[in-house]
Amino acid sequence: MSFLGRGGSPNTGGVSMEKIEMAITELDTVTDFFNRMVQSCHAKCISSRYADADLNKGESVCIDRCVSKFNEVQKKVGEKLQARGQA
Amino acid sequence: MSGNRFPGQVPIWAPGKEPLPPGLTEEDRAALDQQKKWENYAAMGMESCATKTVMAGTMGFGIGAFFSLMSASFAYEDPYLRQQTQVGMNTTQKAGQVFREMGKGMWSSGKGFGKVGALFAGIECVVEGYRAKNDIYNSVASGFLAGGILARSSGPKAAFGGGMAFAAFSAAIDLFLRRETPEED
Repeated sequence: MSFLGRGGSPNTGGVSMEKIEMAITELDTVTDFFNRMVQSCHAKCISSRYADADLNKGESVCIDRCVSKFNEVQKKVGEKLQARGQA
Repeated sequence: MSGNRFPGQVPIWAPGKEPLPPGLTEEDRAALDQQKKWENYAAMGMESCATKTVMAGTMGFGIGAFFSLMSASFAYEDPYLRQQTQVGMNTTQKAGQVFREMGKGMWSSGKGFGKVGALFAGIECVVEGYRAKNDIYNSVASGFLAGGILARSSGPKAAFGGGMAFAAFSAAIDLFLRRETPEED
């Protein structure tokens, strides 16, 4: 998933509505992905007894693994969806 | 992707275009990235299991030496044995011998406590890193393993008993540390 801001080439003679629509959709998708990931990993990894402000070792390890798994799942599901769409 | 004018807006920036802290320019970005990288390494190092083991071992050594120092003043003395072994020494040599014995006691006691501390902290850190959870079972398991390892030369039953004892002790301490404190209004 490429992030925006890499400088789209304006050699088509201007900014087209499709590019803007695509950029808006991509930003919405990335934002939604980020929010869901934060929500899910927070619910899974951090207990509701806030004894300390910093993340301790167990929690930081859990969040690392959660983020990594979330990314992997998203990638795999995307691949399968693409394969299904092409078939 | 404007600045965070609205709270709750997702902080996603294009790579290389994150907002600079106030007072810095574009040329400082490379130095800022380098600095952030080293800060990350330092934070990772402080949280790593090796650092925790070393720190616990050092503190254990200090505590053991201190206890031995304090208990040396209550040690039993045999004046006749002293008289026989200290024949022909002047005051400086006698004092030197006393201090050397004290130092040997401090060293051995410190080593013992240091081993205990390092083992316990190291095993607990590894167990917590594996389970990815922070609760009391890390301390209990690590206490059991540390107790077992420390008593391994006395046979399996003694090792098991030592492990259970250390696990119970560490569970008691952790229950105290994790108790619910009354809310302060």
